[in-house]
Amino acid sequence: MTAVSPSTTTRTPSPTRHPGPSERPVKPSRLSSKLIWLLVTLVVVAAFWSVDISWDALLTLPQKLVHYLGLMFLPPAWSKLPDALGATMLSVAMAWFGTLIGIVISFPLSLLATRGLMPAVVRWPLRGLFAVLRAVPEVVIAVLMLSVTGLTAFTGALAIAIGSIGTLGKWGYESFEAVERGAIEATTAAGASRTQVMRWGVWTNAKPDVLAFWLYRFEISVRASAILGLIGAGGIGKMLVDNIQFRVWDVVGMLMIVVVVVTMIIDQLSGMVRHRIIEGRWELPVVTALRRRSARRAREESIELKAASHD
Amino acid sequence: MNDPHSTPETSGAGIRFEHVDVTYPNGYRGLKNVNLQIAPGEMVAVVGLSGAGKSTLVRTINGLVPITSGQITVGEFGLHGLRGARLRQLRSEVGMVFQSFNLAKRTTVLNNVLMGRLHHTSAWRTLLAAWKKDDVELAMQALERVEIVQKAYANASELSGGQQQRVAIARALAQKPKVILADEPTASLDPPTSHVVMRDLQRINTELGITVVVNLHFLDLARRYGQRLVGLRSGEIVYDGQGADADESVFESIYGRSLTAEDVLPETTAELS
Repeated sequence: MTAVSPSTTTRTPSPTRHPGPSERPVKPSRLSSKLIWLLVTLVVVAAFWSVDISWDALLTLPQKLVHYLGLMFLPPAWSKLPDALGATMLSVAMAWFGTLIGIVISFPLSLLATRGLMPAVVRWPLRGLFAVLRAVPEVVIAVLMLSVTGLTAFTGALAIAIGSIGTLGKWGYESFEAVERGAIEATTAAGASRTQVMRWGVWTNAKPDVLAFWLYRFEISVRASAILGLIGAGGIGKMLVDNIQFRVWDVVGMLMIVVVVVTMIIDQLSGMVRHRIIEGRWELPVVTALRRRSARRAREESIELKAASHD
Repeated sequence: MNDPHSTPETSGAGIRFEHVDVTYPNGYRGLKNVNLQIAPGEMVAVVGLSGAGKSTLVRTINGLVPITSGQITVGEFGLHGLRGARLRQLRSEVGMVFQSFNLAKRTTVLNNVLMGRLHHTSAWRTLLAAWKKDDVELAMQALERVEIVQKAYANASELSGGQQQRVAIARALAQKPKVILADEPTASLDPPTSHVVMRDLQRINTELGITVVVNLHFLDLARRYGQRLVGLRSGEIVYDGQGADADESVFESIYGRSLTAEDVLPETTAELS
């Protein structure tokens, strides 16, 4: 199948088997690529058959969707807004508290997982732990912890803390390892001890990145805390699932608006602080995006103008 | 061997290489049987091609590169097998200036200079950046000496290359060193700035009597600022003498070919006019 295509032997009159510099190359076979495509196709087909698709439900879906969206948003139950905001506060507090615990625990652990600081015997088990914690969703951690702590907002915060250790630990040691070697070499050459090299050679340069990662993890925790509410850990997620159970659609609609708006606001505020830490300037992420877009457009226009002037 | 440029009140330390060999873990021989004596307060320029062993030579003096055999004596310290607290003490007496400045860019100039005081700073002061008043004063004086004190509270990243290198010199000075090592300190700088940095080093050498060992790629800089020139070729010393005496044949022995325009710093004459 994959043998050299016969065209080379028929076209080349020279008796040598090795093609010379001016000869056309043999078309590569790309067999592996074809096999992978075949496999992907098979998987899709198998998945298609194994999922029990009810086609008639699919037909009525748009109609139902309109119906429920109407129930939820025409109009949303704004009267319950104070309750929703209170529940949101609880969710955000859960995220904040959980992330804080995660930072306190992950910081020393990520130092211990840094190459050049600790031997592999210490590093690799920690990195393994971080990987395992990252692989398990917060919801699963919370469910596992239910039997110990009961179903409270504190359980949610602890679940977020444990989940945070996985991500923050990895981001931490990666930031420490990515630091420029220069300041490390300079502090070492000045007679600094290992701790002093860590403090001034590594931490000064890694600090902005690490602080930004802490905030970014907080943003993720806010979203995770809403989901934790769905299993009963309290907060906006719990309010949402309760109202879905009792089919109070107008409250559900209002809650969805609150979740989306609050998450976006927190993302923007946190992003603004991150921008301040990294770039040294206050700016909302949405403003950054708009500015970049207009700058790109201006650049494209100037290129077009140049092209036009060349004609 | 050479006229030791030193006065009784110099604070410089002497450096002696005896049969020094450096073999890297990958088997590459960085230095081969190097014998060299540098008097306290002397200023020596080390020249040679890339890979000739210039960087290795200066880095053995503060133990950043360990020597395989032989002995280096810096002041009262013997480098062979020197470790731990004694090695850190030696390093605190030897300042170093690097090709790429090696500043912590995300903190202030003053903090960078104060890093030269780390050896004399306790653990809690180190962690909290609670520098001693005397050390801050010393750092400010070091910044004044290289004429960049007005930038003390600026972030190191805001400075130009030349300014960063002068901060790095101030950091070395803050150590109150007996020796300053400079590893191609002008290689990342433009010609006029190169001269400013070299003059700073020269001034420190003459005014404070600190021994200065400087690696240079450009021969004219080496000849102008080094009283003494040491030529390295594939890890061996091939010339050791006055910079002014180094003629065409000396350069051929160091570089393996005759002198060309590429070996001198461009635009030098323009800068001097």
